[in-house]
Order: sequence, then C-alpha cells, then structure tokens
Amino acid sequence: MTDSERMTSLQEVEDFAVQNGSYYAEQFARIQGKTGYTWTWNTMAALFGPLWGAARGIWGFFWIFLVLELFALVQIGRGLWGELGAEQLVRYERLMANIARREQQAAELVAAGDAEGAQAKLDIADNLRAVADNALVAAEAASGKALTILLTGLVLVVLIKIAEGTYANYAYEAQYLRFRSGKNVQAGIRRSTIIFGTVGMIAIWPLTLIRFTVAKPDEMVAGLTGGLLGEKLTITTFPVGKEYFALLAKKGDNGFDWLAINFGDVFDGVSAAIRQVLDWLELLLIQTPWPVVMFVTVVMALRLAGPRVAIFTAASLAYLAFMGLWELAMITVALIGAGAFLCVLFGIPLGIWFGKSRRAYAFAEPVLDFMQTMPAFVYLIPIIAFFGTGKPPGVLATIIFAMPPVIRLTALGMRGVPESTKEAAIAFGCSPRQLLFNVELPLALPSIMTGINQTILMALSMVVIASLIGAEGLGALILEALQYAAKGQGLLGGLAILFCAMVIDRIAQGVYRQKVGGR
Amino acid sequence: MNSHVITLEGVWKIFGENADAAMAAILDRSLSKAEVLEEFACVVGIVDVTFSVNRGEIFCVMGLSGSGKSTMVRHLNRLIEPTAGKISILGRDILELSSTELREMRAQKIGMVFQHMALLPHRTVRDNVAFPLQVRGEPKSRRWQVSRVCLERVNLSGYEDRYPHELSGGMQQRVGLARALASDPDVLLMDEPFSALDPLIRRQLQDQFMALSAELQKTTVFITHDLDEAIRIGNRIAIMNDGRIIQIGTPEEIVTNPADDYVRDFVEGISKLKLVFAHSIMVPVDEYEHPHRVDSDHCPRVHHGTDLDHLIDIATTTDHVIVITDDDGTDIGVIDRATLLKGVQGGKA
Repeated sequence: MTDSERMTSLQEVEDFAVQNGSYYAEQFARIQGKTGYTWTWNTMAALFGPLWGAARGIWGFFWIFLVLELFALVQIGRGLWGELGAEQLVRYERLMANIARREQQAAELVAAGDAEGAQAKLDIADNLRAVADNALVAAEAASGKALTILLTGLVLVVLIKIAEGTYANYAYEAQYLRFRSGKNVQAGIRRSTIIFGTVGMIAIWPLTLIRFTVAKPDEMVAGLTGGLLGEKLTITTFPVGKEYFALLAKKGDNGFDWLAINFGDVFDGVSAAIRQVLDWLELLLIQTPWPVVMFVTVVMALRLAGPRVAIFTAASLAYLAFMGLWELAMITVALIGAGAFLCVLFGIPLGIWFGKSRRAYAFAEPVLDFMQTMPAFVYLIPIIAFFGTGKPPGVLATIIFAMPPVIRLTALGMRGVPESTKEAAIAFGCSPRQLLFNVELPLALPSIMTGINQTILMALSMVVIASLIGAEGLGALILEALQYAAKGQGLLGGLAILFCAMVIDRIAQGVYRQKVGGR
Repeated sequence: MNSHVITLEGVWKIFGENADAAMAAILDRSLSKAEVLEEFACVVGIVDVTFSVNRGEIFCVMGLSGSGKSTMVRHLNRLIEPTAGKISILGRDILELSSTELREMRAQKIGMVFQHMALLPHRTVRDNVAFPLQVRGEPKSRRWQVSRVCLERVNLSGYEDRYPHELSGGMQQRVGLARALASDPDVLLMDEPFSALDPLIRRQLQDQFMALSAELQKTTVFITHDLDEAIRIGNRIAIMNDGRIIQIGTPEEIVTNPADDYVRDFVEGISKLKLVFAHSIMVPVDEYEHPHRVDSDHCPRVHHGTDLDHLIDIATTTDHVIVITDDDGTDIGVIDRATLLKGVQGGKA
C-alpha cells in the first residue's frame, strides 16, 4: 500500500466513525492487517456497554449486551437483597401449621377415646415434620448461598465488560464494511439512537430486575410508582382478563347464528348436492356386489399400474374383506371420492383462472393459505352450525382442506406453459379456447395430475377428523378406538385406511404415468 | 393491385403504460430513446419503420439483439400491436381486422417459424405440422395428407409418428418449417429460424430453405443476426439498429455502398468475391485512359454481371485488360488489374 492509498483508507474510516475517527482508523487497520484474531481494546464500549452500541448504531451489540448485563445484574441483586429461600420458608411454615392441626386432631381423638385414630394422625404429623425440617434446611442453605451468587454476578460483570471491550472494534469494523457497500448504515454517533437505547434500557432493566430479585414484585413496583404500575397494572400478569375475548366470541356466535338462519336454504342446497354425489358413489361402491368391485379394482390396477401394484391391490382388498371392514372401507372411499371429485370439479377451473390472472391469484393466495393451515377443528364448528352433522358436512370439511393443492398446481402448470409456445399457437390462428384446450391444458397436465394426486391423499387424511362430525366409515372406527383406548381396533382400522390410501395413490400414479410418461 | 405483398408505413412501437403519451411527445419534441425512458418509463421498440416486400421476394432483416427486428416481425401478424403506423398484408390493412378476421388471416395467409421451434411436446410430428389446419377445422384425413406432403418437402418423411423430443434440433426446426408451410400461406415469417443451430446444420438448412423457396416462391420476411446468412438468402436486406432501419438494398448495394459507419463495420468482414459484379467496378470505355491503347481484339470479353471471383480467374490467364459488355454484347467498360485489385479490396472504393 502506498502512503497516499493509506491516507485515503484512513480518511474513509474517519468519515465513517466521525467521533474518535483516528482511533478507529488505527484499530480497523490492525484488524484488517491480521488474518486471525488480534487484540483490540475499546474502553468506551467496555464502560458504556449496550449504550455504546446504541450510540454507534450497532444494534446487534446493543441487544446482546443488554441481555447479558441484565443477567449479571440480576445475580448481583439476588445476592444483595434477594430473599433467597423465601419459598422454602413459606413451605416450612405451611407444613408446621399442618402438623399443628394434625396434633390437635390427635388430641381430640384421644379425648374421644379413639387411640388408634389418634396414633394414625400422629404418624402423619411425624412424617410431615421430617419434610418440614428438610424445607428449613434448604431455606437456610439457600440464604447461605447469597454471597456465592453475589460473587458470581460480579465476576460475570467483569467478564462481560472484557467481552465488550474486545469485541466492540470487530463489531464496528463489520458495520463499517456494510456502510461502505451503502446499505443505509449510520455513520458516527447519533443523539437519537442514544436516546432510543436509553429508553430501551429504562423500559427493560428495572422491571426485570425487580421481577427476578424481589419475592413480591407487584407490591414493590407499586411502592415505587405510587400504585400506577403493580397495583392498577400488574406486571407479573397482563392486567386484562377474558372480557374482550368473551365479547367478540359472543358476537361471532350471533353472526354465525344469523347466517345459519337467513341462509339456511343455501346451506341445505349445498348439502343436498353433496349428498347426491355421495349417494351415487355409494351406490357404485356398496350396492354393487363386492366381487364385481374387487375384480374391477384389481383389473384397473393391473392395466394402469402393472402387475406388482395389482398384487398389492388384491392383498389390500383381501385384508379389508377378511377383517370385516369391506363396507366401512367402501363408505370411506365414497366419502373421499366425493370430496376429491368436487375438489377437482371446482379446483381445476379456479386454477386455470388463477393461472391466467395474476390479480385473481393475489386475492386467492391468502384464502388458499387459510384453507390449508387453519386447524380443521376451527372450521368444523361453523360447518356443524350451518350444515349439521353427518356425511355431507364431512365431505365439505374434506373439500376445504384438500382443494388448495389442485388449485395451486393447476395455476402453477398454467403459468409454466412457455410463452414462446403460446405465441406460436396464436401465430397460427388459435382462438383463446383452442389455445386453452390444445396448448395450455395439455402442457400443464403433469402439474395438474400431481395436484389431483395430492388432493386425493389430503382428502384421505381428513377421514378421522370428518368422523368427528358424524361421517361414518373407517374414521369413525378409529375415533371409537380412541375413545375406549382400544389399541388393537385402532391399529387394524389405521392399517385399513393406509391400504385404501396406497391403492388409490398407486392407481392414480399409474394413470399419471400413462398420461404424462410418454414425453 | 401493385406487387407489394407486405407494406409498412411509419410503424412505431413503444412499450409501456404511457405509450400513447410518449408517442405524442416524440412526434412533438423529437425526444431521444433515453429521454422517453426517463420521462414516460416507456421503452422504444421500433422507430418509424417503412418498407415493402414484393411478391415472391425473400426480404432479410438483419440486426443485432435488441435492434428491434423480432419485435418488428411480430407486427406483421399482429402478435404485437403497433403504437402508430400502417401495416398492410396482401392489400388488407391488418390493423382494421376484427379478431376473427385476424385469426383467419393468421391461419390461412401467414406462416411463421420461430427461433426456438416452439413445437408442442405432447403431439407427434404429424400433429404438430397439421396444427394450423386443425385450428382451421380441417378433417383428419386432409391434415394427415398435408402433413405428409410438407414433411416430404423438408426431407422428414418417416418421422410422422415421432415426438419432437425424439428429434435433433435441426430436425425440429424442419418440422417448424413444415408446420409453417402446412397451411400453404402467401407470406412466410421467419424469426431467426437457424440461429439456435450449429454452423454445419445451419448451412444445410439454409440450402434446403433456398431450394424450397425457389420452388414455392413464397414471399418471405427472414430475420437474422448473421449478415452472411442475410447475404446468402436475401434478395434484399434491411439493416436495423436501435429500432430503426438504417439501410435497405440488395446484398451488393449493402456491401459496396454501406449507408453509414455502422453498416460499414458489419460489411468489412464479408467476402465480396461473389457479391460484387463487373458493372460496379468497371471504368466506362470512354473514361478509360490507358498509357497503351486497348488492344480490343485480344482482350477477353465478359458480361457485366460477372462476379469478382470469376474476373480473377480470367485475369490470371491473360495480360490484357478485361472488356465488359452489356446484354447486347456492346463494349461498355474496362477492368484492368489495378481496378480489379481495388475491387477485391473494398468493392467500389
């Protein structure tokens, strides 16, 4: 480095640090001149600790040492005025009172001539006395530790100060590098940040210190603040109870009731439509003789997914049949089937729309997140309010949970169609309709199929939850097992659901491969 | 009707939300591109483009990336709407067409080939080629027949039932060409069709395209960033830079008489031997003053359309000057060694 280069780099550091610029220029030069660690000492940082960090705008430094120093101060506080062993003493007194009561009861029993009963009471009193003695010993031992704790606190303070003094220049140098790349970093000392730091310390330190060193912090704070804090506004618990919550919950109840009364017809209509689909599927799966259903399922697995899946399918169906779960399983599959069918029926058009319109997707995104992340139990409650219990509401809950993947993945697939391919199709005179059916949907198909598969699996995972609101099937079997802690029944039922899921998944994957695998 | 198949008059394209305001400002105050970007946050795509293409002509548009050539060609079938100007194709003002008419026009009159092929991956080669016919609602038998003929034209018979991903890049682009020909359009738009291919394949496809083009006589607008390609293929060339057309001319005109330094820079590396002809370097007979009289009896005589390459061959076999004749065999000019060497060096200069 030439002298002039050195001068400019020193000048740059001074422009950054402003106050004490030449000191920092020298320290940074030392840090940057070494590859490993080098000893630097910043007295100001050691003296003022977090406040130094605040003044220089190094907030990481400020927060870390604010907490560390507070921890050390709490130790010192406990050593100096903390009522150590207070809890044990209270316990001792409580035990002694208990013993006195038992002895009095014993005396009464003796007076009444029940020597045996009196002896029992005295035995209990003796046992309690041993416990009370232990508590007293512990209390004394605790108060004897006061000095140790005080010393620990002092040592901690010293160690923290050393850490501050040595680490400060490193932290500040890192800040300097951020400053150089122009990321809106504070240069020099700023009064506003000192004030902020001070306010932060005042807000955090005293209350925390009192909370951890005084046995009855609320009374202490009340004494200090003239009753404002501690008495009117307790500091150990939030001074607001459940009053707002109760108010809003009541309003919510009324709102739902109002909806249920005024839109009852709409909800009934939805219910009836779902029931229609369900009836149709149940007719297909349950009314059809079981050999036909089994045969068709196994052949489907064989044609779509190959012999291995077919064997697995046959074994799974045999399990269901021999466990006597056939009808329950078919009810479950009909339930899921209805849910998945409706998801796909509404999800794909919605997905196409969201894929084409960014604005619509921006609105839909939070709703989809809500549908997927809101715990199912939360929307089970309004569903019961609107639709009652039974299968259709169960299907509805399944739809809410299982629809987002097919919507999302359809939209994703639509957006993934290359612009150049769409452009070519338009250049050859495609109408928007032809573009959708000849280009966009076929190219989005892999994504859409993945979405359908996900939707089916998520619908399966809702079986047990749907049974909570009266949807029969394997889910109800497991719910029952849960209520009576019937471990075997639960396991067999769980396996049955697992096999249903795997068979459906494998067959769906087979369809997927046949449709998409050719490319 | 004149023989112009494609005519553009004063076509502008400005991208951005305030395009119309920016357009007005440009006409009012003649702002520069940078000023438009600053003031209106609009990007000027193409600037006042005017040209026309004759029936059966191959019109090359040459420019580097960002010169606006791909934007320009997309105006011809209104994949991009111009901000201002007039565009007519086959005598119809295409900006007046309704969306149905426009779709018909695209499906029947205009074929397009894209740089990145843009084939449909889920359809066989046959169905890709027949796609424009399907869009028009032709029956399957006719689609199959047409795509067989078109694939034969591009030497891809036997690949009908393959999928695009099974074909090499060059073959895919031939499928793209067959698709563009499938609807037997009057106009072919080719947007850098051979740019993504390696040089050998590119040359093969150029030859194939030129043969095809000579046979079919389609009016073609051919976009390229490669001047060699433009010179090989084009009947006329337009050079674009920064959204403007700088020069339009035959390959010879461009090479021998570049309009400005930008074009001159490009032309510098081009071999002129097959592009420059006797009539553009010869000295007219009456101006030719030679220390010795021209012994016209012994001089070789060649037609004025002979290229430099051929002239050099002749010059090496004789010590005499070469006499240039017109179509009727009358002597019109003379080329001596010095003139010839100058011509090899820099065309007319």
